[in-house]
Amino acid sequence: MAQLRQIAIYGKGGIGKSTTTQNLTAGLVEKGQKVMVVGCDPKADSTRLLLGGLAQRTVLDTLREEGDDVDLDSILKEGFGGTRCVESGGPEPGVGCAGRGIITSIGLLEQLGAYTEDLDYVFYDVLGDVVCGGFAMPIREGKAQEIYIVASGEMMALYAANNISKGIARYAKTGGVRLGGIICNSRNVDRELDLLRAFSKELGTKLIYFVPRDNVVQHAEINKKTVIEYKPESNQAQEYRNLAEAVMNNTDLVIPNPMSQERLEEILSEFGLMADDYQI
Amino acid sequence: MSSIIEKPRFSCALAAQQTVLAIPGAAPIIHAGPGCASKASGFAGVQAGQQGEGYAGRTHVSCTNAGEKEVVFGGEKNLEELVSGALQVVKADLFVILSGCTAGIIGDDSAGVAGRFARNGDPVVGVDTAGFRGNNYFGHEVVVKAIIDQYVGKVEPSVEKGLVNLWASVPFQDAYWRGDLENLKGVLEKLGLKVNVLFGPSSEGVSEWKTIPNAQFNLLVGPWVGLSIVKHLEKKYGTPYFHYQTLPVGAQETSKFLREVGKFAGFDSEVVENVIKKEEKRFYDYFISFTDFVAEQRNILPYQLYVVGDSLYTSGITSYLTNELGFLPQGVYIIDDPSPEREEKIKAAFEESTENVGEIIRFEADGGLITRSIQEKIGASKKAIIFGSYWEKNISKETNNYFVNLSLPIATEIITSSSYAGYEGGLHLIEKIYSLAFNRGNLSSRTHVE
Repeated sequence: MAQLRQIAIYGKGGIGKSTTTQNLTAGLVEKGQKVMVVGCDPKADSTRLLLGGLAQRTVLDTLREEGDDVDLDSILKEGFGGTRCVESGGPEPGVGCAGRGIITSIGLLEQLGAYTEDLDYVFYDVLGDVVCGGFAMPIREGKAQEIYIVASGEMMALYAANNISKGIARYAKTGGVRLGGIICNSRNVDRELDLLRAFSKELGTKLIYFVPRDNVVQHAEINKKTVIEYKPESNQAQEYRNLAEAVMNNTDLVIPNPMSQERLEEILSEFGLMADDYQI
Repeated sequence: MSSIIEKPRFSCALAAQQTVLAIPGAAPIIHAGPGCASKASGFAGVQAGQQGEGYAGRTHVSCTNAGEKEVVFGGEKNLEELVSGALQVVKADLFVILSGCTAGIIGDDSAGVAGRFARNGDPVVGVDTAGFRGNNYFGHEVVVKAIIDQYVGKVEPSVEKGLVNLWASVPFQDAYWRGDLENLKGVLEKLGLKVNVLFGPSSEGVSEWKTIPNAQFNLLVGPWVGLSIVKHLEKKYGTPYFHYQTLPVGAQETSKFLREVGKFAGFDSEVVENVIKKEEKRFYDYFISFTDFVAEQRNILPYQLYVVGDSLYTSGITSYLTNELGFLPQGVYIIDDPSPEREEKIKAAFEESTENVGEIIRFEADGGLITRSIQEKIGASKKAIIFGSYWEKNISKETNNYFVNLSLPIATEIITSSSYAGYEGGLHLIEKIYSLAFNRGNLSSRTHVE
């Protein structure tokens, strides 16, 4: 069997990481791949579309309520196409350390034997604002060897992507983590494709896929399904299948060259975002 | 700035649990991982001349023993349970929650937890003493200020003339704190002052703390530790403070101390001089009695002085040994890590009491560097005496020189009421230094019988 690929998906908050990850996962399972999705966000909504709702008890809730003696079945649920779904969860807002919670969760999953040999992919869907070391854990501890950053043509998404690249570059030297590419989750911004290509090139990576904007994604979300499950014949379902194909075939893993603030702004200017009529 | 050091001299802010234990009737509650409270007790307790556990110290410290669960979910709930339990089983007049590093990083609010108990009428105070915030000198100050703010509280002072709050030694970090406070209290009472020492056996405990706002003035003895406390009290209660930088050791320094305090307190100088005259007569009667021995044995007695200790004690010891006992200071190492701005003021205060000593003062918290410096300076001399810690004791052994314990860690002495402060402390120090001559095995005296 092929070697397990552990992939972390990062990106600015609200950019569509969870949606993209789950649709990408659906694309992979359609192709016969065995996938586990580990939600690393206290909101615990990384597996909602695969499971058909927020049916999942999080690892940390289970730990909090039942103590250390946790059964794998109580935290791992099977979703669309046999996907294994886990939500790390987090403490109540304002107390404790959610970052450490992720470290605890992943440690527990390993201990309980969740990483079985038949798995082809594990996805870590990490919350957007990487506020402290705990959220960098999938990169830092060498859990995920491959990172994809979800971005769009919006300025803040690119700032965040550049910052995440700094984190990857930092841990690449010791942990062996690499950047697999940028996934554009389109916001229909002017010249978005050109901008994302230029941005990716400057980072030393590539735009692995451009996912167009389509309202069917919203409809599928309301129905608690991935697009592939909700409207398998739609164009957007095919886009996600193509994304899955692109990720499957990608062997181009690099240490990114994050750019300076000045350089980032130069690229943004060049592609029109910083023009006079631009308003935040 | 933090850096790696060899042979540490002080502990972290959490070790201010010892400050709480020093208040009769007060008990610490620690919100930290397992081991922190024990380490703090080990350093500023056991290694401070075996000062014992106390009622609620060392192995009896109430501690959350916070682990990963508390880190992830927050530890306030566990802390609340611990405080509830402690209130039931520990008999104390005041409980002080001190939180350590992990609680500090995840943002557990120990003062908030304390407040919830205090509003129910329980005497609980909370303070963030995360080790990364500073050392135990810092911890001492924040704990004292927290008790003042949360326990003594907002009250209208009813000023009592002649009542003074004495702030001097940091309990346990100065191993001689109990004796120091007693000796200073003793001489100040002779002037006619009523003295709140606030810590140790000669304090009345928390009831004394309640009278802090009523003092005529706060008296801070020492270069810098406690300065933020007396300034805080000035702001909070309008109490003026008198800052005296040198710990008085021996007759000259203690008489000078009494004159200046007497003046600040508004005493008639004749009253002060009468006290001094009486004390000095007693002091010098004893002093003269040992000088025959010194005259006879001068060839084997030390005269080169090395002092390693915090800025409070080094100043007093250096002045006394230089000005009254004729020692020549060779090295003065100040280990309490004062701020760079404060260093110049400390040097100036040293110069005021001991001539030309400024150039040999070194501010150094790294025991390894101090060891190397002393070794280099001492060379082949057999006429040196080192005041310091267990770390320096080894130098004296290797070089066959004299050694007296002064600063932490003190691993080879039992300390109860000993102190080198005041007139009494000066005499005690004479006994201590010159008795060492008998341990050297080469003493020949007409009066000495083997």
